Amino acid sequence: MTTPALTLDGLTVRIPTAAGTVHAATDVDLTLTAGQVHALVGESGCGKSVVGAAICGLLPRAATVHGGITLHHPGSVDVHLEGAGARTWRKVRGRRIAWIPQSAATYLTPVRSVGDQLAETCRHLRSTHTPVALLTRVGLEPAVAGLYPHELSGGMAQRAAIAFALAGDPQVIVADEPTSNLDPDLTEQTLQLLRAAADAGAAVLLISHDLDTLPAHTDRIAVMYASRIVETGPTAAVFADPWHPCTRDLLAALPSGGLHPIPGMPPTLTDLPNECVYHRRRPAPGFSGGPTYIAQHGDRSVRRLIGAVS
Amino acid sequence: MSLQAHRITAGHHGGEPVLTNVSLTIPAGSITGLTGASGSGKTTLARVLAGLHTPQHGHITLDNKPLSVAVPGTVAMLFQSPRQAVTARWTLCRIIAEPLRTRRGRADTVHATAQRVGLTDDLLARRPHQVSDGQLQRACLARALVQRPRYLICDEMTAMLDPATTAALTTVITEETRSGLGVLAISHHHGLLEVWADHVIAWA
Amino acid sequence: MRSLRHRPHSLIGAIVVLTVIAVYALVVPMLTGTNPGLTDFAAAYQPPSGSHWFGTDLAGRDLFVRTAAGLRVSLVIAAVCAVASAVLGVAVGVAAGALGGWVDRIVMRLVDGINALPHLLLGIVVVALYPGNLVAIVASIALTHWTQVARIARAEVRAARSATYLEAARLSGATRTRIAITHLVPAAAGQGIVAVILLLPHAIWHESTLSFLGLGLPPDQASLGTLLQDARAAVLTGAWWTLLFPAAALVVTTLAVGVVGAAVRDRITPPLPERAIR
Repeated sequence: MTTPALTLDGLTVRIPTAAGTVHAATDVDLTLTAGQVHALVGESGCGKSVVGAAICGLLPRAATVHGGITLHHPGSVDVHLEGAGARTWRKVRGRRIAWIPQSAATYLTPVRSVGDQLAETCRHLRSTHTPVALLTRVGLEPAVAGLYPHELSGGMAQRAAIAFALAGDPQVIVADEPTSNLDPDLTEQTLQLLRAAADAGAAVLLISHDLDTLPAHTDRIAVMYASRIVETGPTAAVFADPWHPCTRDLLAALPSGGLHPIPGMPPTLTDLPNECVYHRRRPAPGFSGGPTYIAQHGDRSVRRLIGAVS
Repeated sequence: MSLQAHRITAGHHGGEPVLTNVSLTIPAGSITGLTGASGSGKTTLARVLAGLHTPQHGHITLDNKPLSVAVPGTVAMLFQSPRQAVTARWTLCRIIAEPLRTRRGRADTVHATAQRVGLTDDLLARRPHQVSDGQLQRACLARALVQRPRYLICDEMTAMLDPATTAALTTVITEETRSGLGVLAISHHHGLLEVWADHVIAWA
Repeated sequence: MRSLRHRPHSLIGAIVVLTVIAVYALVVPMLTGTNPGLTDFAAAYQPPSGSHWFGTDLAGRDLFVRTAAGLRVSLVIAAVCAVASAVLGVAVGVAAGALGGWVDRIVMRLVDGINALPHLLLGIVVVALYPGNLVAIVASIALTHWTQVARIARAEVRAARSATYLEAARLSGATRTRIAITHLVPAAAGQGIVAVILLLPHAIWHESTLSFLGLGLPPDQASLGTLLQDARAAVLTGAWWTLLFPAAALVVTTLAVGVVGAAVRDRITPPLPERAIR
């Protein structure tokens, strides 16, 4: 039984900067399901972190958001988060949507112990959990509560960050590249913790570029390129048989795919045209570029050129 | 022709040296991978090989001569965090050209090398805070190549990079080894080293 | 508070104010027909009027001209003190940071010692030894303020010394001297310049205080401090203008310099990576 926990419907984020308007996300459709780990991948600069930030209400103030961000809860009314004010976000952040940042240690106050900060979080979220219980749940010794952030190793800090995220029993957990600086053992442990959180009922969005680890630890995957989603589907199926050329090229760049670099550079996201941008980078015979749409085939979808023969 | 570590004892961690009596050979023209658990001393060895750190015992030879008599710039290094390895106030172009100010070299090599690592001209005019980690690491590789080193030490250089950038940089480095560059690649991604390196040393 | 990079209005306003003040302080005393020392006892304590825009003081001197002269003297003294403090502070700070070891330790104990003393008292002691001597006044301010600059310069150098980018520079073949010139000095100098600008308001206040207490310039010489000293008695007779204009000049100048100093500091500090897109 799949209960959607969060739906993104045509999410479009534009961020004005000194260099022009950045098309951070365009027409993103994504559904996060309770109990599943959903991966979001793409080259650096494709906009995946912005999608995560939009879900948690952490976009810069100047950003404009169009489209829908809807939080569902069985038995209660949907919460529309696009354009929500600070008061709504205060009720939602931590309690219903939690964020696990990259480089966790820098997100903690350096002058207070981990346990102290975790207790404050639990108090603020009126959580039923105790700091020690949360630390144990993520595999840390109770003694860690007395340590200061600079005394934590990278792996311990990452697990502590997960403990903070779980404090409020959130429905949705967004993890922004939680394993990027970790060695293989710690990466495995972190991903298992996220899987455990999903098994306990949360919908987990894992933003990552550690593609090799994903088939074993995630249920579905969405691939982004230049602010748009280009392919979605069950992770194992997409890895075994990628449909979009961008996905194929990403998998070929992995060591397991042969370490083939993708020619050219990803486009800067200012003023992108409303057509197939990947085609301009990797022109393929028989394709002429142009506007695209998302074609749905069962539980997989892929971005196709309008008018192209499949 | 190789960069060799001879019985190195160096570093200290709680009173004990991190490396004890370690020897390692990096042959020219190939990629030697080094992998092992965190804290096993890989970074310390990298710094000793580059001449940044003096060991308590042992010595380093470059092509059978002591490292201290080698021309400065013969050993280059790529670091885990590109953002900390560049001067924040300079443009990428100036960062890449820095080695040329101390050695005779040609200015057009800056642009040619930048092209090889995938940096376009408009990126060269930007400053570090305006580019991503991947683009900065490309600039660091360009800076290392501009000085025409004989040996390159990569200390977890792919830690902050996405697969496409990793593939791009490893391909460029592999091409350079065909001209004789000797590479030590330190990474905890065993899978990457198996595909990329010519041989892998695994430390416990 | 948002950095001034995003709020140019306050910076532009401060620059405009400073320009007006500079013109006022530099040009007015040089105009023919004005003499800050010209007394006219018959016209003492006149309120502001068409012929005396800022009124007159106890000796009938025109306060518009006198305040300008006082402002100029205070600004010049403050500038000289700030530069002297900065040169001394940067030199000592860079040396301590670059050399390290016992040099660093001795220098920092000296800095701590000077900072522990109330700097105004120290300044008073110096001017009391050489009353009325302009060099003593400058020295008393410079000697008590160079330590702030030294601390900042040393911190910059020490932070730079352990930076990975310096190791990269060494590996690319740069000699230690080259690294010092291209990396350490610009880092220290940038913050040193900021420290100088932010020292200016303090130096102005310090000199004004000394003169106000009668330990700085002699009372007939115009400086913001002596003008405020004169105003102390004058205010009691109802001559509010003798206090208002010098005090306003002092406050407005120090605020404007402070705003500009903060802007320079923001401009010099390398910005954080833009989080707009990753």
